[in-house]
Amino acid sequence: MHDLPQQLANGLILGALYGLVAIGYTMVYGIVQLINFAHGEIFMVGGFGALTAYLALPGGTTLWLAVPLMLIAGILVSTLVAVGAERFAYRPLRSAPRLAPLITAIGLSIVLQQLVFSFYPDAKKARVFPKIPGDPFELASVTIQRSDIFLIIAAPICMLILGWFVARTRSGRAMQATSQDPDTAKLMGIDTDRVIVMAFAIGAAFAAVAAVAYGLRTGQVDFRMGFILGLKAFTAAVLGGIGNIYGAMLGGLALGLAEGLATAYIQHIPGMHLFGGGAWKDVWAFVLLIVVLLVRPQGLLGERVADRA
Amino acid sequence: MRHRSALVVSIAVIGALSLSACGSRDEKKAGDTAGGASTTVTIGVDAPLTGDLSALGLGIKNSVDLAVKQANEKNEVPGVKFQIKALDDTAKPAPGQQNATQLVADNSVIGVVGPLNSSVAQSMQQIFNDANLVQISPANTGVALSQGEKWATGTKARPFKSYFRTATTDAVQGPFAAQYLFKDAKKTKVFLIDDQKTYGAGLAATFKGEYTKLGGTIVGEEHVNPDDRDFSAIATKVKTSGADAVYYGGEYPAAGPLSLQLKDAGANIPLMGGDGIQSGDFIKLNPKSQGDLATAVGLPVEQLPTAAKFIADYAAAGYKDKYETYGGYSYDSAWAIIQGVKAVVAANGGKLPEKPREKVVEAVQKISFDGVTGKVSFDEFGDTTNKQLTVYAVKDAAWAVEKSGTFAG
Amino acid sequence: MTTEITPVIPVPERAARVFTALAAVATAGTALTAWTWTADFPGDLTFYGSPAGLQWLTLTGGLITAVLTLARYGIPGLRWTSPAGGNNGILLAALGTAAVSWFAIIAIAVDLGGLANLEPGGWLAGLTSLLAVTGALGLPLDRRTADSLGKPNYWWLLAGVVGYAVHHLITRTLRLAKIERKLPPARELPSWAEVLLIIAAFAVGLFAITFGIDTEYGELFTGYLILAGFTVAALAKTGLLQRLRALTVKHRPVATGAAFSAAAAFPFTQTSDQYTSVAANILIFATVALGLNIVVGLAGLLDLGYVAFLGVGAYAAALVSGSPASPIHVAFPFWAAALTGAAAAMVFGVLIGAPTLRLRGDYLAIVTLGFGEIFRITMNNLNGTTGPNVTNGSNGIPRIPDLQILGFDLGKKHLVGGIELGRFSNYYLLMLIITAVVVLVFARVGNSRIGRAWVAIREDETAAEAMGINGFRLKLLAFALGACLAGLAGTVQAHVSYTVTPDQYTFAEALPPNSAFLLAAVILGGMGTISGPLVGATLLFLIPKKLEFLSNYQLLAFGIALIILMRIRPEGLIANRRNQLEFHEPVIPAQSAPEDAVPLTKAGA
Repeated sequence: MHDLPQQLANGLILGALYGLVAIGYTMVYGIVQLINFAHGEIFMVGGFGALTAYLALPGGTTLWLAVPLMLIAGILVSTLVAVGAERFAYRPLRSAPRLAPLITAIGLSIVLQQLVFSFYPDAKKARVFPKIPGDPFELASVTIQRSDIFLIIAAPICMLILGWFVARTRSGRAMQATSQDPDTAKLMGIDTDRVIVMAFAIGAAFAAVAAVAYGLRTGQVDFRMGFILGLKAFTAAVLGGIGNIYGAMLGGLALGLAEGLATAYIQHIPGMHLFGGGAWKDVWAFVLLIVVLLVRPQGLLGERVADRA
Repeated sequence: MRHRSALVVSIAVIGALSLSACGSRDEKKAGDTAGGASTTVTIGVDAPLTGDLSALGLGIKNSVDLAVKQANEKNEVPGVKFQIKALDDTAKPAPGQQNATQLVADNSVIGVVGPLNSSVAQSMQQIFNDANLVQISPANTGVALSQGEKWATGTKARPFKSYFRTATTDAVQGPFAAQYLFKDAKKTKVFLIDDQKTYGAGLAATFKGEYTKLGGTIVGEEHVNPDDRDFSAIATKVKTSGADAVYYGGEYPAAGPLSLQLKDAGANIPLMGGDGIQSGDFIKLNPKSQGDLATAVGLPVEQLPTAAKFIADYAAAGYKDKYETYGGYSYDSAWAIIQGVKAVVAANGGKLPEKPREKVVEAVQKISFDGVTGKVSFDEFGDTTNKQLTVYAVKDAAWAVEKSGTFAG
Repeated sequence: MTTEITPVIPVPERAARVFTALAAVATAGTALTAWTWTADFPGDLTFYGSPAGLQWLTLTGGLITAVLTLARYGIPGLRWTSPAGGNNGILLAALGTAAVSWFAIIAIAVDLGGLANLEPGGWLAGLTSLLAVTGALGLPLDRRTADSLGKPNYWWLLAGVVGYAVHHLITRTLRLAKIERKLPPARELPSWAEVLLIIAAFAVGLFAITFGIDTEYGELFTGYLILAGFTVAALAKTGLLQRLRALTVKHRPVATGAAFSAAAAFPFTQTSDQYTSVAANILIFATVALGLNIVVGLAGLLDLGYVAFLGVGAYAAALVSGSPASPIHVAFPFWAAALTGAAAAMVFGVLIGAPTLRLRGDYLAIVTLGFGEIFRITMNNLNGTTGPNVTNGSNGIPRIPDLQILGFDLGKKHLVGGIELGRFSNYYLLMLIITAVVVLVFARVGNSRIGRAWVAIREDETAAEAMGINGFRLKLLAFALGACLAGLAGTVQAHVSYTVTPDQYTFAEALPPNSAFLLAAVILGGMGTISGPLVGATLLFLIPKKLEFLSNYQLLAFGIALIILMRIRPEGLIANRRNQLEFHEPVIPAQSAPEDAVPLTKAGA
């Protein structure tokens, strides 16, 4: 167990990535009760937006300049795609049966994947993403690769900004009101359409930050990367209590930790030697989800809602 | 009222015309094919032509196409022209099986190259076997496909006589890598990782068997999801295990980031894999790949004139996609079918017999020629007899030959 | 929304009608000319007096347009095609014909590289079909009044000038609307005649579907799909489909029997297994979709991992099939294997459902989604190294033997009535029996006390529980029943494909069956109906399969089609009557219509 601090660090870093993407799911769900399946793909196009910016920069640009520019480009692309999707695909379906937007979301996710696959140069295979060069940092017994520094700095800043925005600004409070009761909020003069667009945009921006972090971390982006990560992030959002932004981050961290610890230690538990390691980590994450839902059906930080049909 | 009846009449006339015309078209068609001087036979191709494995699939298709074109140019089989019919299986068993029935139903199809995936092969083997249609896979590595489920315990039995492959099985590559790591590289503690897919898990299992037999220690085993790109938890385990090498059974899309994250986590040990990672993309995806190792089937291109010719011809043919990992094997597979047809035609007095499929299966079993990947011939299980392997290492962002040899078993 | 009956192009109605009919007949006639000079285009359209491939479609479309136009003259013997009256059907038919003809022209130009490859016949087809559309636009059509339109929606400019122009054309120039017309009471026919009509209708249906499945190249299938879509829409407008529906409702047993006979007749129309293997897989996919419809459509439970139950059934059947790769060396007869598969799937359904169905709302979605993925991962892991050896991991369980039912070997060819039925025909017919069982279960349960309770839960769980319905128990029943039916289909699937491997059971892939496609089949087809998922599944199976010529763009096209279809018909192709009323009549104009929302938000900002 002497590598526990390292595994905790691994889990938390991965979890922060999940959490950033989960915020997009949770905000959209909290306001329009829509599982935005295409959110994973919004994350993916953000990564490709950032990559495009990097490729457009002259060779030899210092990463201190390149990373912020990539971030801006990623956010721009993700947000545009998300807002466009809301306007053209989801909004016309707001009075349709509850499951129709879900099919639209699945369709959208296929379309976005295929657009990148077919039209982005060389995107049929993974594209190389820049990494922050240099040896990993050693802090006591914990090794952290340089590229993860971006995520370690960006995730808390994003959460602080979002917390301030939702609690303090006029738009943020409009968002809270809409999520509690859209009809009343509308009667109170809140432009609910704008609030919905805002929720999509913020979620997309966070996804783009996560995409840049992911690219730096793994050194690549590919057109399928949104699917698995989106699934995990959605699980994180439910785990934390869907509709709650802090819950999303907490759920992400919990999920990341659970995966890391399950990979490392389950097989050392007597009688479980066959059921541990990387092969079973997703199964254990799923078990965690079921257990949490049984004990706290509303998720870790969710509020008990009488009826969310 | 007048124009109304005119309309009705004209409709009736059109209807009658079109019905009567049907017959004449069929007759014409029949005349066309009978009048041809040479027979045209089809080589079917089944591979994923769309989706994320399409790069490999298109490489297979183009290589077969190249073989067919060259056979026609050289008039390899006098009196017989070849064409290809490429079908897309999207790497799934069910569409693969439907393609198999489609190829069987087409009487001009005389042999099939494919598929890429073992699971697809499993759904096709019986169909082709029932139709006596020869099938040569350029990429399947699962041993059980040709030697039966009990091959590991020594009772080998060939389930389908129409199934062949030019790719080597896992039972060759894994042990060869084990011998190299233990004897040549002197690595005695290996951490074993695989991606749970047929190819990767098979390689890892055969590697483990040989490596422990030689006296090496497996200090840990891990399995990854092939779609995962985050391996930090596993990298930490490798680092704490004290291994001095990692053997990875799987393909480069996961192997690249895995090797990179190992080094990012501070474990500066080489990663070794099979031909699934011996690709330029592995190096591209992994800036810290220096020293990583891979085995590949056949002699290095520089020592094999047939391979150099294939590469030059492929480039000259101007295909949009690269030939990728399985291009050479696919070319050899197609050429094996062509050679089989040649033998059948020769035995039948220069003409293709009425029902050639069964005879082609028998002929392919006996063929032997120098192909792109070395000598091509098949043993009693339909597996390639080519057991020449080469170990490559990454040196200055390119794969460099480390050692060539023949696997003794 | 106010409506009017006016032509788009103001011309005398008589002239427009004659013009349309003549143009339609002329269009049909162009099918007899050569459209291109070379036989390189699939189908070989170079013959005079002998239509082929896409030309048949133009011919059919032209004739349908002509017949519908003539029917409005009141010609005896044709009137039945247009019982409701109104001219929108004619316009749709003409549009469909024009779309097919122009699709053919464009396909020829693209395939052969240039418009120069067209013969005058091709140009003539394009011209006459457009003339027919022009003529139809001169007929009085059901439209919205110009002053009932809101402000133009400039958001469409984002979709480019062309996108905006198309949007403008459809919503502001054509302004087509739906006017409910009372169908005049049908002429009383003796019941044998009505039965004959039903049988004739299903025979036409069988012919149309067989044509679709047998299309040999993607261009023909696309044209077929275009024409079929427009024709069905046109016949719905003219009221013919409602007539037919009324007939089938009146003679339901006959209609059901005719439908199944038509389906059973399919293998007898085939000369090889080439398309029956496709049909057998369609049937598996459709049956599973129907099972999912119990869960999603009736009980309103969102299941995103349904394909896992198919997998459980398939794995259970494979394990007891006697395959040499199965660690359990037993060979059950089919009935026992089917029961095993169904029971195993049901057990898993209960295991997953019991903890999660106590919760309300969308939690089930993530749990089922997770279960679908976990199933695949677990099947991969139970390989002897990372778990007990049950499934052989990613190698799966291959070499599953063919079924023997009462001494009848389904893997062999048999002669039935002089027609040779191959392996896949046998499995197709077996699967058809299973489909019939599922349809029966669906129909009986759906109309029972339990089915009504499910619908009550779906609509409002709180209210339903207040009425004394045990929500949890009934939801669990729906979930377990759905799982059980999928497991049953899985047992056949295992034998058809000879192998079960974990990678066949995923959430989303390019081809069905997978969970996303299953759900799409249910929702696209129509939730809560029997024919909806069957139609949806057939389309979702055939479209990606037949659009191979689009190669790498086929999935893209499919995704776009999903989005557009949901936009046009959110209630599905075949809507539950109640849903249709709910979603097409803006009874509650509240937040649904954006126009209404404008003043409200203005006041607030």
